[in-house]
Amino acid sequence: MAESSSSRSCSGFSLVEVLIATGLLATSLVAVAQLFAVATKANSSARTSTFATVLAQQKMEQLRELTWGFDQQNNAVSDLQTDLAVTPPSPAGGLGLSPSPARSLLDPAAGYVDYLDAAGTWIGTGTRPVAGTTYIRRWSITPLPADPANTLVLQVLVTRIRDRGTANNGAGTRLPNEARIMSIKTRKFQ
Amino acid sequence: MRRERGFTLVEMLVAVTIMMIVVGGVFAVFNPSQGAFQAQPEVADMQQRIRVAVTEMSDQLLMAGAGTYRTDASGPLTNVLAPIAPYRIGSTSSDDRSGTFFRTDTISVMYVPVQAAEAALAIPVAGVTGDLTIATSTGCPPGVSACGFRVGNRALVFDGSGGFDTFTVTGVQNGAMAATSNLQHGLDTLSRVYPAGARVAEVAMHTFYLKNDPATDTFQLMHYDGDRVDEALVDNVVGLRFDYFGDPAPPAILRDPSEAVGPWTSYGPKPPMTGTDSSNDSWPAGENCAFTIAGGRQVSRLATLGAGSLVPLTQAQLTDGPWCPDATSRNRFDADLLRVRKIRVTLRVQTGEKALRPPTGTLVNRPGAGRDGSRLVPDQQIKFDVTPRNVNLNR
Repeated sequence: MAESSSSRSCSGFSLVEVLIATGLLATSLVAVAQLFAVATKANSSARTSTFATVLAQQKMEQLRELTWGFDQQNNAVSDLQTDLAVTPPSPAGGLGLSPSPARSLLDPAAGYVDYLDAAGTWIGTGTRPVAGTTYIRRWSITPLPADPANTLVLQVLVTRIRDRGTANNGAGTRLPNEARIMSIKTRKFQ
Repeated sequence: MRRERGFTLVEMLVAVTIMMIVVGGVFAVFNPSQGAFQAQPEVADMQQRIRVAVTEMSDQLLMAGAGTYRTDASGPLTNVLAPIAPYRIGSTSSDDRSGTFFRTDTISVMYVPVQAAEAALAIPVAGVTGDLTIATSTGCPPGVSACGFRVGNRALVFDGSGGFDTFTVTGVQNGAMAATSNLQHGLDTLSRVYPAGARVAEVAMHTFYLKNDPATDTFQLMHYDGDRVDEALVDNVVGLRFDYFGDPAPPAILRDPSEAVGPWTSYGPKPPMTGTDSSNDSWPAGENCAFTIAGGRQVSRLATLGAGSLVPLTQAQLTDGPWCPDATSRNRFDADLLRVRKIRVTLRVQTGEKALRPPTGTLVNRPGAGRDGSRLVPDQQIKFDVTPRNVNLNR
């Protein structure tokens, strides 16, 4: 009996036991390996957020650089011709600070959208994305209801074409990785 | 007995095959994982460095040109000097003193911070090393001694003619006259003397530049505070470029220089009254660096560069004069710098690990020693624009 018991304890693992053990090991290794994929994805997502924010700020700064003030006789002067949909902005042929169509933040509207590649370089404009587009940048210019002649609400939304194409997300709200910024521009007396 | 016969050949083969498959799978996963393990923290680090660089620079560039805010002299700094310059300005190794007026990878900005100390000179400065005697009764933040000036402040003095000096306050004393204080400025000698009424204000100076030193393998975004301190802000910055966009319209006279309250010009220093000559510069009577007299009227000395929107300013335009306050002043600047309304910053960062940079190609500025495609980290480049609010009051 004693010999038999001892021989049983020395018998090692059965093939089935080894299979189960290696199976468990393999499963857990795959789970660990997925962490690397998650880390890579998180970095890529962080990069997208950073780029989207910088690109949105870039358009906002371009909107802020347009003339919107008073001349020496205190007449309002407004830049309504600079074309910001092309890079570098063209001094004529565009819409400048003209109010945008009601849905320009939702649907690409001519003159209020441009397309950028993965490096953030401008590659085109128009109501349909051009080949190679990574980021879609839409903006809207809305007169402030309380002071429509002198004050504008500026908004910029940068989305990634991979996330949702040109579709709007209902009310132009942003998804993670996207950037939406808003600013007010008002005429100042000299 | 049967149990001690060991494995059969078939059992061995099956077991070994399964083992090989599992071990093979483990290696297949771990070899690239090791690459990701090395590369991904570097990628995250690079992005963090980009964010720091963008935030640090855009915060300071955005403020450029904010001016004094008390008395009639209030207004953006573009009404008196160039608050944005493509070279280093300050007490140590100032580029303007060595005749360098353009560097693609350097920018200096100046602004009067919120709640800054501010005052007017009570009496003319006696010589370029003399104390500045400020009036503490008017045009001064209330409830603070010496108008808020303290030892260690960086300060700016200007008289509206285009001339200016910056200095560090090394001593503050009660003045000999009532309601005055004396500001001492130690090693920072002035470039000229200033009359009574010249404004003195606390100033923030920031110079950003690229340290590009292959000998020590040092590539850093540097910051200089205008006084004595150069410090590294961000490591492994391998590309930095500033582009300037300016107002195409030349400056215009808004009010006659004889009027008491400004602003007198759309931008740029106001000229002296027609027929009056400023003793501090070499321009003829009624003229200064931004305005000349043509047909009996004061008109801009600068060219019209277009209509409407901002135009790119070239190195030639920014270094060809006319010079303010004049071509011989120690603190001179090109009058076209007064036009700058927007700055475009191009920033490129690399990974600090040489083994993660590819050895050739356009993905990196500085080739590395990386061989394995799964663990290469290319440079990241970003461009951003800054439209300083205080120099864009009509925009």
